[in-house]
Amino acid sequence: MKLLITGASGFLGQYVVAEALRRGHQVKAVIRPASDPTKFSWHDHPNLEQVRLDLRQRQGIADALKGVDAVIHLIAVKSGDFYTQFAGTVIATENLLDAMIASSIDRLIAISTFSVYDYQALGTGKLLDETAPLDRHPQYRDEYAQTKLIQEELYRKFEQEQSGQVTIVRPGMVYGRGELWHALLGMELSQSRWLCVGPNAFMPMTYVENCAEAIVLAAEREEAIGQTLNIVDEPVPTRSTYIRELSQRTPNPPRMTPILWPLMSLLAGLAWWINTQFLETRAKLPGILVPAKLQARFKPLRYNGEKAQRILKWTPKYSLGEAFDRSCSDDDLLTVAQPMNPVLSLSQR
Amino acid sequence: MPTILKSAVIGSGVISKEHLSFLNTCDRARIVGVCDLSPAAAQYAAQKFQAEAAFTDYRHLLESTQPDVVHILTPPQTHKRIATDCLEAGAHVICEKPITTSYQDFQELWATAERCDRRLMENHNYRFNELIQTIARMVEDGTLGEVQDIEVRMALNLREKGSRYADENLPNPMHKLPAGVIHDFITHLTYLALQFMPGEIDRVAAAWSNHAGDSLFKYDDLDAIVLAGQVHARLRFSAYTRPECFTLFVRGSRGYAETDLFQPYLRCVIPRPGGKQLSPLVNHFVNGYELMQSSVRNFRNKIMQRSPYEGLHSLLAQTYEALISNQPLPIQFKDMERTNRLVERLLAEGDRF
Repeated sequence: MKLLITGASGFLGQYVVAEALRRGHQVKAVIRPASDPTKFSWHDHPNLEQVRLDLRQRQGIADALKGVDAVIHLIAVKSGDFYTQFAGTVIATENLLDAMIASSIDRLIAISTFSVYDYQALGTGKLLDETAPLDRHPQYRDEYAQTKLIQEELYRKFEQEQSGQVTIVRPGMVYGRGELWHALLGMELSQSRWLCVGPNAFMPMTYVENCAEAIVLAAEREEAIGQTLNIVDEPVPTRSTYIRELSQRTPNPPRMTPILWPLMSLLAGLAWWINTQFLETRAKLPGILVPAKLQARFKPLRYNGEKAQRILKWTPKYSLGEAFDRSCSDDDLLTVAQPMNPVLSLSQR
Repeated sequence: MPTILKSAVIGSGVISKEHLSFLNTCDRARIVGVCDLSPAAAQYAAQKFQAEAAFTDYRHLLESTQPDVVHILTPPQTHKRIATDCLEAGAHVICEKPITTSYQDFQELWATAERCDRRLMENHNYRFNELIQTIARMVEDGTLGEVQDIEVRMALNLREKGSRYADENLPNPMHKLPAGVIHDFITHLTYLALQFMPGEIDRVAAAWSNHAGDSLFKYDDLDAIVLAGQVHARLRFSAYTRPECFTLFVRGSRGYAETDLFQPYLRCVIPRPGGKQLSPLVNHFVNGYELMQSSVRNFRNKIMQRSPYEGLHSLLAQTYEALISNQPLPIQFKDMERTNRLVERLLAEGDRF
């Protein structure tokens, strides 16, 4: 297949490009103009064409789509204010979908997130799978969740109104080299100490190379069309297991101060009650004291990747320990072997 | 039944939140439409602020809704064209700063407003912040004496990673303005200084610099001196000094007052009871107490998410009342004309150093 991969220089995107090339696909990798493409070892692969684009503007997108069979859309902005994230996530997606419609390309593998779920609607200890409700009142969630929800609405509209062949892939928390200590582990109190909320709760983790493989499989499998797939690596680890394994491989790991989920939930509930009763819900509290945000990060739930495994015929290649070993090694994880019978580079055609 | 004006908003970027939140709570306006080139952005803003419709073509918005007032919040390069169409469609126009990118364009736009018998107003929101109004009253009632010296200083981390101005992938449209990104702020510096300089400006000198020397920014620093007779003003913009601030100092023949609009406080050194001997001491105590009060106030404002845009809400409230009662707008032609003329003179200094 010829795949257009947006967000190719992002944390997950660089592995998706590598995996797509390894599986023999031709790849057009969308890289933002100011990024340095030579830092990825796949940058000169003969089956790769780099496309320098910023999807926040429409110019050039239709050209990039020429000859493409499917689009793997990874772009999202995780930092900045709401309007920055809206432009980078929603408007970029809107521009891409408009260009796909104009180019009559209907196959889309849309990368979403677990952040779109309504965690307050799920009871503690319940199973979160693809049937869980989406957050319909995200005003108290962070900008990322809000903009990713709008982005999913655009995907649905494309699917329903344009007969788009869409697979929505929702990875759990993606971890890997450079992204091992993350927001699901707790709250950073200082450089050497974290507050660990609910140490015994499961976390919906997926190692970046495993996740990248699942995404490319979603592009390959016809059965994935019209499906929404949660991506987690089974068995999912508890917070304490993840931290213990990671700490063994981290020089001077931060010390974790545990706090039980019921206590933290109670504190957040109390803070929110004060906010609603006395401050007209206008007070800006730390995220950990906002129940909607706290639950999205720390609520003890169960997860499985059964549907993705079944439809994609996918089994995560690397276990938690192997994933940490690879992440902490000096190996180049983006190396892609050159084809046995090199074909002409895409850019040479 | 109070008169309610039909309002429309064109452009749904960052500043639209302030305009729309005002309109959403104002009992003198109903939002008949929001327009943005992005359908998703227009729909989001319309839904969030209970606008009656979303548009992607402002001409369609004008035809469909026939608004009484249009707020133009698009990049400055588009203001003149959009404002002209709005005025000719019979709407009053409230336009974000800078209203145009040149003085001549401002004059032409004003002539259009006159011809169409519609009101046209550039946003000078910080003039309506509470502490700026307090200092203005101190000048009016003679507390500070004759104004001799003004300094307006703005420091913003425009070059910091993550700043919308530092984005090299899709450079902010403000980079293409005559003064680059500083053009986005120079209106504020200028109208605040001119508020305390009623006389004709007779001398201007400005050093425009790009200290980093990169190609993304045209300028990242401005140091300007403006003289109106004996009154001196210094306009200063820096992308390097920290912390971020927006300070105003007004020094008169009897005393001085200062404030920072980003972390509001008022420090006022004036003759106090106790005569010449005790005044310095009384000033210290009074200002110390005021600073402590400001700390509590600013902490509360931070928690309650109150921004330095309180002046914009006040300005818009006064503007709607004035439109309904057919009274002069809070920002008049003279204010805008002097501001845009001084901006033009400052820009003309761009190549002198």
